[in-house]
Amino acid sequence: MNACRLTVVSLLVAAAALGADRTALANDGAVDFNRDVRPILAANCLTCHGQDAAHREADLRLDRLESADDARGAEAVIIPADPPGSELIARITASDADQRMPPADSGKELTPAEIETLHRWVAQGGQYEQHWSFVAPQRPATPQVADAAWVRNPIDAFVLARLEREGLRPSPPASAQALARRLALDLTGLPPTVEELAAFEAAAASDPAAAYANEVERLLASPHFGERWARTWLDAARYADSDGFEKDKPRFVWMYRDWVINALNADMPYDQFIIEQVAGDLLSDATQDQRVATGFLRNSMINEEGGIDPEQFRMEAMFDRMDAIGKAVLGLTVQCGQCHSHKYDPLEQTDYYRMFAFLNNCDEAQMSAYTAAEHAEWAATRRLIARLEAELKASAPDWQARMAAWEQTEQLQPRSDAARSSSQGNPTSASNWTVVKPVLDASGGQKHYLLEDGSILAAGYAPTQHTTEFTVEVKSPARVAAVRLELLNDPNLPHGGPGRSVYGTCALTEFKVDAAPLDGSAKAEGVKIARATADVNPPGRPLDAIYDDRSGKPRVTGPIEYANDGNELTAWGIDMGPRRANTPHNAVFVLEKPLEVKGGLRLTFHLVQNHGGWNSDDNQNHNLGRFRFSVTDAENPVADPVPAAVRAILAIPPDRRTPEQADEVFGYWRTTVPEWAETNRRLEALWQSHPRGTTQLVLSERTTPRQTHRLERGDFLKPAEPASPGVPAFLHPLDEPKASAGPTGGAKGAVRPNRLDFARWLVDRRSPTTARAIVNRVWQAYFGAGLVTTPEDLGTQGALPTHPELLDWLAVELMDSGWSLKHIHRLIVGSATYQQSAAVTPELLARDPANELLARGPRFRVDAEAVRDIALAASGLLYRKLGGPSVYPPAPEFLFQPPTSYGPKTWNHNSGPDQYRRALYTFRYRSVPYPALESFDAPRGDVACVRRVRSNTPLQALTTLNEPLYVQCARELARRAIAEGGANDEARLAYAFRRCLSRPPSAEELAVLADFLARQKARFRDGGADPQPLIADGDAQAAVADDRAAAADLAAWTAVARIVLNLDETITKQ
Amino acid sequence: MAGAPSHLELFDNKPVLAKYDGSLPPAELIKDYRAAFINPNSTLMGPKFKFARYGQSGAELSELLPHLSTAVDDVAIVKSMVTTAFNHAPAQIMMSTGSQQFGKPSLGAWTLYGLGSESQNLPGFVVFSTGAKGPSGGSANWGSGFLPTVHQGVQLRTSGDPVLYLSNPPGVDDRLQRESLDVINALNRRQLDVMGDPEIATRINSFEMAYRMQASAPEAMNLADEPEHILKMYGAEPGKPSFANTCLLARRLVERGVRFVEIFHEAWDQHGYLVPDIKRNCEVTDQPSAALVKDLKQRGLLDETLVIWGGEFGRTPMVQGDPNDAGAGRDHHPNAFTMWLAGGGVKGGVTLGESDDFGFNVTRDAVNVRDLHATILHLLGFDHARLSFKFQGLEQRLTGVEPARVVHEILA
Repeated sequence: MNACRLTVVSLLVAAAALGADRTALANDGAVDFNRDVRPILAANCLTCHGQDAAHREADLRLDRLESADDARGAEAVIIPADPPGSELIARITASDADQRMPPADSGKELTPAEIETLHRWVAQGGQYEQHWSFVAPQRPATPQVADAAWVRNPIDAFVLARLEREGLRPSPPASAQALARRLALDLTGLPPTVEELAAFEAAAASDPAAAYANEVERLLASPHFGERWARTWLDAARYADSDGFEKDKPRFVWMYRDWVINALNADMPYDQFIIEQVAGDLLSDATQDQRVATGFLRNSMINEEGGIDPEQFRMEAMFDRMDAIGKAVLGLTVQCGQCHSHKYDPLEQTDYYRMFAFLNNCDEAQMSAYTAAEHAEWAATRRLIARLEAELKASAPDWQARMAAWEQTEQLQPRSDAARSSSQGNPTSASNWTVVKPVLDASGGQKHYLLEDGSILAAGYAPTQHTTEFTVEVKSPARVAAVRLELLNDPNLPHGGPGRSVYGTCALTEFKVDAAPLDGSAKAEGVKIARATADVNPPGRPLDAIYDDRSGKPRVTGPIEYANDGNELTAWGIDMGPRRANTPHNAVFVLEKPLEVKGGLRLTFHLVQNHGGWNSDDNQNHNLGRFRFSVTDAENPVADPVPAAVRAILAIPPDRRTPEQADEVFGYWRTTVPEWAETNRRLEALWQSHPRGTTQLVLSERTTPRQTHRLERGDFLKPAEPASPGVPAFLHPLDEPKASAGPTGGAKGAVRPNRLDFARWLVDRRSPTTARAIVNRVWQAYFGAGLVTTPEDLGTQGALPTHPELLDWLAVELMDSGWSLKHIHRLIVGSATYQQSAAVTPELLARDPANELLARGPRFRVDAEAVRDIALAASGLLYRKLGGPSVYPPAPEFLFQPPTSYGPKTWNHNSGPDQYRRALYTFRYRSVPYPALESFDAPRGDVACVRRVRSNTPLQALTTLNEPLYVQCARELARRAIAEGGANDEARLAYAFRRCLSRPPSAEELAVLADFLARQKARFRDGGADPQPLIADGDAQAAVADDRAAAADLAAWTAVARIVLNLDETITKQ
Repeated sequence: MAGAPSHLELFDNKPVLAKYDGSLPPAELIKDYRAAFINPNSTLMGPKFKFARYGQSGAELSELLPHLSTAVDDVAIVKSMVTTAFNHAPAQIMMSTGSQQFGKPSLGAWTLYGLGSESQNLPGFVVFSTGAKGPSGGSANWGSGFLPTVHQGVQLRTSGDPVLYLSNPPGVDDRLQRESLDVINALNRRQLDVMGDPEIATRINSFEMAYRMQASAPEAMNLADEPEHILKMYGAEPGKPSFANTCLLARRLVERGVRFVEIFHEAWDQHGYLVPDIKRNCEVTDQPSAALVKDLKQRGLLDETLVIWGGEFGRTPMVQGDPNDAGAGRDHHPNAFTMWLAGGGVKGGVTLGESDDFGFNVTRDAVNVRDLHATILHLLGFDHARLSFKFQGLEQRLTGVEPARVVHEILA
């Protein structure tokens, strides 16, 4: 329910006032099409006379001069140099309301100044120019300036040339201390430590320029550089640690976050940085890191609420990926193309779906990934395994012959004696089983897809305790004696499945079968299962804690009998330890009495899956992921004990096998050799130590391409004509794909371009927007606003660059440097422009409130994460560990419980040092953002964000004043001031001040603080206030001195430290 | 009313549906229809409660809404709502932001952007959650999207600190807080003199407003000073979090200049146990909802306060589960549902629109979510086509680019 209060309303319509002064004509009266005319046409005409044919009126388009196949161009209504004779001018000046454009009912109206501009433009020839950002940047000449001495690098020449044109002077340079803090915040997101500051000051005293240059290099090489700049990219990559939507379950993508940090620290060339994120999996011999990089596209939200059609939300994710590539890489808005052709930019709806086609061929894969330590540990274990296996071989010189003999029988041996006798001809085991495919309907919570091989893939909502039913019609064989259930891998499942649990495992509580004749002559009846076998039969063991259903009952997983014992507390489990759990498995259920098929049989398989946890809104399911049913008429079949991977190798002639394949066969065969039991036991223990790893959201290309269609109005239920992979005509062309293109390569000769070709196209030197977009955002991070203030849109509706040549120069410089972002950072912080003082006079403020002309240094409140990090760093609490899973600093528990959160969420508050990690590592739930970050404008990761808004609100004040971790920072800063600050209170105050602001207090500031300190000391000492609550640690360890005076002093110092931490300057870069 | 209340049990009386109880729906009705959980070809289930006509206007309501029935002449009932989403999170986001895709500003944020706030001491857009769960769409329901974040909703609680971190930390009493602020502000003022950045002045204001909020928010949230008859009217009990308390709080906040109050009561997703659960929901929500309208009216505030009641979609006339069991329920249904509005320039006693005999499709005066938003904005004094914000090269609007109409039939 909403209730909202009206007041007398004055309409506040957002006008496009921002660009007003930019559209002012140059003094000489020359009209610039891009600057002066295009914005008028775009705002007033192109909705009906643009390139979107579906909404076009009068068969006229004014986005181009020449007519196109589909409509008349502007040349039809413009006679160059003849405004009165031009219909365009006639219509916009018509006195008859029926004639006048734009029409009254459009709500649009041209101002006299706009009419005048159009008039003048036609008078000057009425020519069109290509939009600036659709032409690839060329290196512009560095302009000549009067005050050449001010120029440190070409950036300054461009900035100064503009200032001189405007009759303005740059500001003086900032102080060494101010620069040290500015640099540290910009390059690492952390203030300098007092030690770093002292070293810099000492160096700067003798040679300021060298000291500054060295400081820049030191900070660029700091691992914190990657953390700080990763955060900016992660906004664009809409990184979050949860799925979003209703369930908003935790997800595993932190390795992607770490990949970004590492790539930026290593100064990975920006073109490679993009290629790996868009198509790292398609690079030849893709590494784990390159596959993890594709998490960029997987950061889309996932909807698993009950009753969804997973395909609908896969499409939503696809739209999101297009939007992210548009904003993050191209700097263009492509979202419109989802439903219709772009109204303003020359992006047709077809173009949108052609680019979409590059991305539409992926599985939503969840690979197993391991940390470097896990990799190293397992490699060592593998060596041990190899040694033990070599010892086995050495102990039995005839092992090869014995293994060959075993293989011979295994090849011939079907899965039971009975099956062999009942089959004629060549009795291979597979031919005895007939795959039966159920007819699926879309009802129920969990959804299922029927795949081509007859297997079923579970998707969408994953209830933790439920029974799914699959009905098949059997017409042959003549009898059904047994049913086989195969569990299969699928890239879309965690760790590749075969289950849906976070480990890719599953548990089958019971397996039940009903049968009825197809003709309906009898009701369905339960069929008794005499006996069950499986390839894996783990020993019975209690469920892991994540599957706790809070029933208090002893629930276990174990051998296959558990799925046929009528006991809901027991289930067949497949978890033979990490990695080996994530392989195909099979179970065979032999019916007590074979069923005669006669005219056909309807079988219903009930998969009881009750071994998940209590909370279906969390990662607690234990469901089957991909599986397949088969039936046989063979009597007494048993499950194939040979692992599927080994079974596949056995089909290859021994002399054609690779050494790895031979080892794999040996690795299984040795387990069948009775006298090796002891070594096998040791080897088993080693396999059990395989690291669990983490499942990471990545892309993997499908072997069978999906056909992409243009979607009418973006509706996935309304596919129109097919769309083949391609790029918009207004951008640079796509190179012919190389013959070595990935698995989507089509038939011989006709190689179909794939996602890797698209990724390379995105960072092609000829791309007019890619380099501009990223240097613009780097600039934005330094100066608060980009050279184009709409970084998400460099297109025709975006803002024009304040310094177009500078933008192009930086873009070309980036590409010429081998796409080195650190090179751009070095140039920017090396410029005199950057090093100006941020102080502003009232006159300059009035002239240039947003500092677009750059006559002063940047000054603005730091980003949300840095607000937190500054407090942690200044207090000394900061735990500078890099990377790893996200952490859970203190937060009010109610946030993660209904009714604040939809479902109960896990917030494993870290009480150790992890709570003091940089805010970058704070676990990010999309539906419940971390409050201390949200109030400072951190985006929630629902969509790509390339420009944060920057607010200044009372909730921010409440956060830094009262939030427990900030108070703890104040207490810690107080302790350090007392212990490390010096001999007297003045020195200690100065020390605390310097830790936060990197400068000493002025005499006046010191006096104000000293007075406050004295008053609080007196009050706490005199019993006017109790010092204990303020100095007691949050984690309830009262580390407080018994000494009353000392306690009073610490409380007073805590109050002072809280003040310094709350100063505007503390959370500001200036 | 998150979760989607059944229009068939509350507002939209369908005697024909009762007649066809237990039979399959007409084939043409469910052609191409997608349901969330059920097979669309499930049997029809007749309405489970009795309907009667109330008030001078003779508006039809179910027996589950005895309190609303006494306020019905001040309420406009729209029986012809339609939406395009039929899963909770997207449909709630659609209702809140006009788009199924996340990242757009909410209705409350647009309102604040357009009208500003009248309160200097309280957030201008306040959100409560009172159901068994939180809203499916999460805090994106009150997000600011691409609008300045200052316009996003602030979630208040009815127990503990109403606003996060509102209370002073342990050991900081009011005097210390005040003296601390004085020093912070004094030092910031000095810095303002040196740097000349007006943002510092804004920071000083923010700290002062935060301090005022520390006093005013608890005062606004304290129901103990409400007279007994008012508490009774809502069924509110001070200190016991409830939907009733929250309705009363909404009135108190609106009186104090809060521009937009939104209460999420996520409780209506009756896939099963429709009869007992919807009954219990109505026992909790009917009286306070009606009381809010009546209380605003008796204070002369109803003409300037718009009250909107509704969920994100409706429910199927087809049964979910065993129709003969108490566990029977209804699935999600976007094609027809009911909302009501009162006050703020809405004509009372109006019932707009009609659905077919099964409550399945709207047959007259369809009102889609854009139309609803256009109408709300109109009541707030805006032309929905002109309340816009430039982002990604477009003049973005709550009602998007598709046509939307102001539903003049329900305007006074």
